[in-house]
Amino acid sequence: MLPRCTAQRVRKLGILPAATPTIFDLRDVCKEYQMGEVVVPALRGATLTIQRGELLVILGPSGSGKSTLLNIIGGLDAPTRGEVLFRGEDLAQYSEAQRTQYRRKHIGFVFQFYNLMPNLTAEENVELATEISDDPMNPAEALDMVQLDDRRTHFPSQLSGGEQQRVAIARAVAKRPEILLCDEPTGALDIATGKVVLDALNEINRRIGTTLILITHNASIAGLADRVIQMRDGHVHSITANTDRKSVEDLVW
Amino acid sequence: MVVSAFHKKLFRTMFQSWGQSLGVVMVVLCGIAAYICFHSAYLNLSLTRDTYYAQNRLADFEIMVERAPETAVFKLERLPGVRQVRKRIVEDVNVDIEGVNEPRVGRLISMPARRSPVINDIVILSGRYFEAGEQRVAVVSNQFAESNGLALGDRFQISVDSKKYSLRVVGLAASPEYVYMIRNVQALIPSPERFGILWVPEEFAETALDMKSACNNIVGLVDNPEDLDKILDEADKVLDPYGVFAKTKREDQLSNRFISDEIKGLGVSAKIIPTLFLGIAALILLILLNRMVRTERTQIGLMKAFGYSNWAVGFHYIEYGLILCVIGCVGGFALGQWMAGGMMKLYVQFYQFPILESRIYLDVLARSMGITLVFATLGALSAAIQAARIQPAESMRAEAPSRVNRVWLEYIPVLWKRVSFTWKMILRNISRNRFRSAVNCFGVAISLSLLLMGFFMTDSIDFGMKFQFRDAQREDVKVSFQREQGRDVLYEASRFPHVRRAEGLLEYPFEIRSVWRKKDIVVIGIEKGSEMRKVMNFARETFSLGDGGLVLAESLAEELQVGPGDTVTLEPLMGRIEGEFEVPVRAVAQQFLGTAAYMDHAALSRMLDESYVINSALLRLESGSRDAINKTLKEIGGIAAVTFNDDAYQSIQDTLGKSMVITNTVLLIFAGVIAFSIIYNITAVSLSERQRELASLRVLGLSTQEVGGIVYFENMLMGALGLLFGVPMGMGICALLVEAYSNDMFRLPFYIDRSTYVISILLTYSFVLLANLAVRRKIQNLDLVEVLKERE
Repeated sequence: MLPRCTAQRVRKLGILPAATPTIFDLRDVCKEYQMGEVVVPALRGATLTIQRGELLVILGPSGSGKSTLLNIIGGLDAPTRGEVLFRGEDLAQYSEAQRTQYRRKHIGFVFQFYNLMPNLTAEENVELATEISDDPMNPAEALDMVQLDDRRTHFPSQLSGGEQQRVAIARAVAKRPEILLCDEPTGALDIATGKVVLDALNEINRRIGTTLILITHNASIAGLADRVIQMRDGHVHSITANTDRKSVEDLVW
Repeated sequence: MVVSAFHKKLFRTMFQSWGQSLGVVMVVLCGIAAYICFHSAYLNLSLTRDTYYAQNRLADFEIMVERAPETAVFKLERLPGVRQVRKRIVEDVNVDIEGVNEPRVGRLISMPARRSPVINDIVILSGRYFEAGEQRVAVVSNQFAESNGLALGDRFQISVDSKKYSLRVVGLAASPEYVYMIRNVQALIPSPERFGILWVPEEFAETALDMKSACNNIVGLVDNPEDLDKILDEADKVLDPYGVFAKTKREDQLSNRFISDEIKGLGVSAKIIPTLFLGIAALILLILLNRMVRTERTQIGLMKAFGYSNWAVGFHYIEYGLILCVIGCVGGFALGQWMAGGMMKLYVQFYQFPILESRIYLDVLARSMGITLVFATLGALSAAIQAARIQPAESMRAEAPSRVNRVWLEYIPVLWKRVSFTWKMILRNISRNRFRSAVNCFGVAISLSLLLMGFFMTDSIDFGMKFQFRDAQREDVKVSFQREQGRDVLYEASRFPHVRRAEGLLEYPFEIRSVWRKKDIVVIGIEKGSEMRKVMNFARETFSLGDGGLVLAESLAEELQVGPGDTVTLEPLMGRIEGEFEVPVRAVAQQFLGTAAYMDHAALSRMLDESYVINSALLRLESGSRDAINKTLKEIGGIAAVTFNDDAYQSIQDTLGKSMVITNTVLLIFAGVIAFSIIYNITAVSLSERQRELASLRVLGLSTQEVGGIVYFENMLMGALGLLFGVPMGMGICALLVEAYSNDMFRLPFYIDRSTYVISILLTYSFVLLANLAVRRKIQNLDLVEVLKERE
């Protein structure tokens, strides 16, 4: 690993090619939360790189820092220390407004609880994303991709959990983000519905080539991944490359 | 005292949402402050008035005659139902005070030589009453003396007819008859330096006015005020030969009329304003607590699972409302007391009560506390019932998703497609929370109405003043004579230095009748082609007086129920001529001041069997010649009063201006508190409900401004709607005010200046923007990570 100052110099000198397969380069990322009077460390120096187009699964027990890591990558949160280089630019130095722009342009989020707008229909929820995007998909196309084109005019309260999650995915993808971040996307779903959702995500990664980072504490999902990262106590415990990506049907849990 | 955990939760919730709590407290505070202020003033003034009247035996009736002998007065006293009468000599005279350039008007009132508890007695504030045998002395009304630099022992001159008398001030006094010290309705507002009362020994009045053993004014007390009409009819018969020209019941007595109207107004304000505020506080509580019960559903279930009863849990929320309201009530009481003190100070300027104090009424406090508790409970009740109904097991499950509300616009897809998602969310949110949105609108509408109402009063009076003193009365000065005069006096007046033009004016009292309806009025005779008096209505339409016939003030026409083309009967009230006249009504005109009827001067003179008679001269002066004309007029006898048009205008402007500024400031604060509290509370409630939604939008990459826009635009849309409703609502309230404040003394013109609309709308809208600014913090501090992690 290059020392920090060197990395910056190298980038400034333009020695690194612009289109490296590495999309993220996280170096010694720390995050501490001030909880009243005590400081709670959530990340204690996580270091990893993420390659363009890969499907990365992050595993770890609760409190291991995986959500914090995802939020930092997604620009929801800023690290306390360390560098988060996105295509060579340090997200850690971004202002709130810059992070908003960053989320708008590059990031799609999918959460465990779908967080749809209750008073917008499925299609309108997707439009919400397409309206703020420079080069969006057609909302209908995005819904078609998650096989919900027949549910376009339904409100979230008229959809099942799995359907709502697929709308959330369509909404996230419709902006054509470079990275799709999923925090326990199947956490609230049963196995059968969960598989439909995972299938949709897998398809997006394969067909469009969107880099996909998926957090789960369900180890069996790891079979889908190109690489699996194990988090423990705010550290990256291990990184395993998957030589043989499984298909969704083959997953068992 | 041990605070239970339950209460700790209550207090902490209160502090956490301190902005909302403060909103409720402020609204209650304003309402109670208004209640205490108005109600205390109401009680203070009524109490002072009643005691003052009782202690000094304010007359039940007053009869003005040309000249009645003592024997007639004895006859009057023997009428059944009459307890006591007193004969007086009353006359307005020109007062010349050394060091004061202008002639002042003094009302000479005779008093018995020896101090005795007479009807319409006076209160000596300093100095003394007359002593036996004293002749050229006077007790002077306090404020008149003070504002003209008259001290005890000083001398001043009065002119009666063409004779001058020098009087010495022996005492300063006040009287229940002149608490509101104005000479006539036209004055409207007291100007203590220009008009005062001079109480003089009876003997002096008799000599000076040549009324030996006679009188021109009779005041009396009756056993039962309900019989007054009958008694006055009888008295009229007794006094008819002596030229009765006005009979006044106590309720119509000028000073009493003004005070009693004011007191009545205070009583009404004390009911309406607090009800409005407490009602709004209840609405806010309703919205706030209903939301709270929904948020705390799980906690409520948990408490019940622990064994708290439905009642205990329900009462928890009522208690929330009670605590906030009681804090507001106590604060309001303190503020209200302070305001009541200030209000009394304001009243001292208008009313000459020898004592006027602001007391603390504990029963008023108790009552306001009671009212507050009722409203607080009302506001919290529905939340409490909901909380009581929650089943513990059910509450742990997620709440059923809210009903889908489509907006009507959606059924027109062409339009709906063009609506941006921000506006789709706004419109759906409004339709999802119709009640809340309606309250939001209502708050803005009320706020605007309050402002319009306040500014309307200023506009209206200003309009009325300009109407009266610029357009209808155009003379520079009106010189009223003690006796009727002929053309020679007018000619003489027109030859005074600095006088550019002189016109005559004849004002004569009549009883006007239509069928069984009758009223004592003054008919004003205006010269043909007069440049100084115009008979017009508020629209500035001028009415021609022709060669006869009457133009009636609107309030008079309404009272008599006559209109153009009808005929009325006029009977002269002074005894110079007998008989009745049938006169056609030419037109009806709105008038700002007084209940008069207008007639061609020549026709009126003929009616009095004269070819030309006047009792006032209207003068137009060269500019800047006021002092010079004053000097001239001071030298001339037989003048009762000199009234400069500008003075009346100016003094009303000054006095009303000051109190209007205070009233409008208070209304502005009230309007601001209402609009701000409602919008802030509703927005805060809506924000807490939609945290997840808004956080999701932020995650999607919307900036705080864009997310805020959804909230702000909704408020601004509802605010705009509120304004739309507020304008007609405010106009409606103003129209009601016109009705409430109009009587036979004056009529408020319904006039709202365009700038008033603009200013009120801008102010109200700035309250909306202010509330938006206040919730901005909440939007900026939205914790994205936390909110999104929570279960839906």
